[in-house]
Amino acid sequence: MSFISIRSVTKSFNKGKTTITPLEDLSLDVAKGEFLALMGPSGSGKTTLLNLVAGIDSPTHGELNIDSRNIAGLSRAELTRWRAKHVGYIFQLYHLVPILSAYENVELPLLLGKLSKADRKSKIMAALDLVGLTDRAHHRPSELSGGQEQRVAIARAIVHDPGLLVADEPTGDLDRESADSILALLSQLTREHNKTIVMVTHDPKAAASAHRTLHLEKGQLIEQNLQS
Amino acid sequence: MKLFSLALKNLTRHRLRSLLTVMGVAAGMFLYSSVQTMQESLSGATEMNADDTTLVVYRENRFCPATSRLPEHYLETIKRIPGVSEVLPIQIVVNNCGASLDVIAFRGVPPESLKQYNSDIKIESGSYEQFMKRSDAALIGKHLAQKRGLSTGDKFEAVGVNVYVAGIISSDAPQDENVAYVHLPFLQQASKIGLGIVTQFNVKVDSVNQLDSVAGKIDETFASDQQPTTTRPEKAFFAETAKQMIELIGFTRWLGLGAVLAVLGLVANAVLLIVRGRVKETAILQTLGYSRLAIANIVMLEGVLLGIIGGAVGVLGALGFFHFKAFTIGNEGLTLALSPSPTVLLSGISVSLALGLLASLYPAWKATSRPLVQSLCH
Repeated sequence: MSFISIRSVTKSFNKGKTTITPLEDLSLDVAKGEFLALMGPSGSGKTTLLNLVAGIDSPTHGELNIDSRNIAGLSRAELTRWRAKHVGYIFQLYHLVPILSAYENVELPLLLGKLSKADRKSKIMAALDLVGLTDRAHHRPSELSGGQEQRVAIARAIVHDPGLLVADEPTGDLDRESADSILALLSQLTREHNKTIVMVTHDPKAAASAHRTLHLEKGQLIEQNLQS
Repeated sequence: MKLFSLALKNLTRHRLRSLLTVMGVAAGMFLYSSVQTMQESLSGATEMNADDTTLVVYRENRFCPATSRLPEHYLETIKRIPGVSEVLPIQIVVNNCGASLDVIAFRGVPPESLKQYNSDIKIESGSYEQFMKRSDAALIGKHLAQKRGLSTGDKFEAVGVNVYVAGIISSDAPQDENVAYVHLPFLQQASKIGLGIVTQFNVKVDSVNQLDSVAGKIDETFASDQQPTTTRPEKAFFAETAKQMIELIGFTRWLGLGAVLAVLGLVANAVLLIVRGRVKETAILQTLGYSRLAIANIVMLEGVLLGIIGGAVGVLGALGFFHFKAFTIGNEGLTLALSPSPTVLLSGISVSLALGLLASLYPAWKATSRPLVQSLCH
């Protein structure tokens, strides 16, 4: 059974008097532990699809099941609670809180729960260890390189142990070397920790790290590539 | 508590902006607390309560202590009136009879009666024994001592009266904070009014219900005498003589209200700027699973912190200002010490907290009402 099951999903919204449909009648399955890349030109609907999968937005029509739960009909508050437990989001520009240290940034998702300070600390240190940044725990984002900032963002995305990671061009703002190390880290997360990853990218090399690449155009799936 | 720490750190992002807001709030709350201190002191001096059993007997139609001259021998007659429990003859000498911020009032009383009659008086330094020993000794109110830089053992001269400071006193009655208690015969001679003449009698009655009847009987007794009297409760006299002062202080309520509104606008503006500057970051937090309520709580905590920090600075500043400057307003020989009180502190802090909260309601709503996808694209 698919971890992500999308059936005839359409997303449309009104902009002035015009109705825009960035996604139309799209169906897709993603297996548990799969690393999926979404590619396509600007306006093709890949970020919209990513937002739907992440529970940031809701489809206008269709079914969207993630880990056997239909999230299409959830209210805004229910989606927020669902995201807090099941999704880790990685942004292109990292979006760390500048006044907080790496440790405190990673702690942010855990502040919502009822964990003790000691339990939070052990989870944070485990996440920072996984991304290789335990020695930078008390550095602020301004004291880190772009690659290190993205690693902190990944630690923040995985610290509460979500099954699904969504990444919006996670290497888009990095040099090749840093990008490669981030992609290696994402691959490690699927391989060793069985995380399901959906990643939007423009970079064919980044897409090559995924198990499968989907090409979207005008809100529709036009091509699938399976990597060996 | 976890969100509180986040809110506190958020305020350090734009330190200058936060500092300016805190200073603005402090200035507003300083004004509010100053007005409250004046109002509190005034109501303490003019509002009657169940414990007020003191009447003051003046000469009829007196304008100022200088024009109230009553024979000291009235004392025995007043003592015999049913309902009277104690009587204290007082000679008052002041340097200024009009409304003034620089009033020095000497109160001449029989030294042996002062302690028993006015048990509210606390000796802060010096001693009552020292006061009894010397005929030119004075017990100086805390405010007066502070304003004139007097301490026990000093000599002090005003209105042609030279006294020796035998002690510094404090009292719950704001009128006692700015007076110098001296021996009655000494003041009668030093002020050249002469022995046997006093300004007023302070009369304690058995119960508060007897105030009016005893006052009526006293005035009736001396109605056809050479020196007819007017007898009223002490606070009622103050309220009447200080009418203009009360009106003036009453007007300051509007200043207090203006200060409160200014603080409200200032905090609301600051929090709105904070929210506008963090649209994307708020969206990131929501993406991480922060609910709208959690986001609103962070915003409101920031508003409350700005209000409370600024409020505490302003309120404590005002209380310190009134404490160290020891302001006293005098009118027709009656003095009102403007003393800071714990009530003002409590009210100031509560108002700051409420304003911080109220001012952040709209920004908090604004921070959470925008669709998440739209905020992420900001």
